[in-house]
Amino acid sequence: MAEVEEILQRIEAHGSVTGTIVANADGIPIRSTFDNSKAGKYADVLRHLTAMARSTVRDVDPQNDLVVLRISTKNQEIMIAPENSYYLILVQRFERYART
Amino acid sequence: MTEVEETLQRVEANGSVIATIVANAEGIPVRSTFENSKAAKYAGLLRHLTMMATSTVRDIDPQNDLTVLRIGTKNQEIMIAPESDSLVIVLQRCDG
Repeated sequence: MAEVEEILQRIEAHGSVTGTIVANADGIPIRSTFDNSKAGKYADVLRHLTAMARSTVRDVDPQNDLVVLRISTKNQEIMIAPENSYYLILVQRFERYART
Repeated sequence: MTEVEETLQRVEANGSVIATIVANAEGIPVRSTFENSKAAKYAGLLRHLTMMATSTVRDIDPQNDLTVLRIGTKNQEIMIAPESDSLVIVLQRCDG
């Protein structure tokens, strides 16, 4: 657990990282740098999208599996890595926005 | 159209690019390096996922918008760039 905490802190130390969320399979955040309601919202909506992405991948090739989903928007990137029954969510600003 | 074609060919020339698909708003491929049925399958499935991703982004922030969706799998990456009237899909192997 300490190792996980260290890794997350190393990621969060990066200037352009807005926040991280670790959520369980039900979309409940168990650790987050966002406030509770925001983390809960992200975790819930992204859980459904990730499940759909995973079944799309399996639909195309049943031997394959989703490793990471990256959603790039106008000002940030949201990365979701599902693992067993957890989701790791990372939100990163694009650099030119990070400097302003 | 030539500029689009040139750009797509430049992308396809990359050794790790498996295929490209350009689909219209209905998810019908209009140009693809895959054969028709495979392109149609990808385009159809990814169109639904992209629509869901777009509405997820707007759900989180109504001022924001999806620019690229990237699906990383065990052996490849699928990149989808939605435009108002089309979908550009690129499949790339993860080398090494």
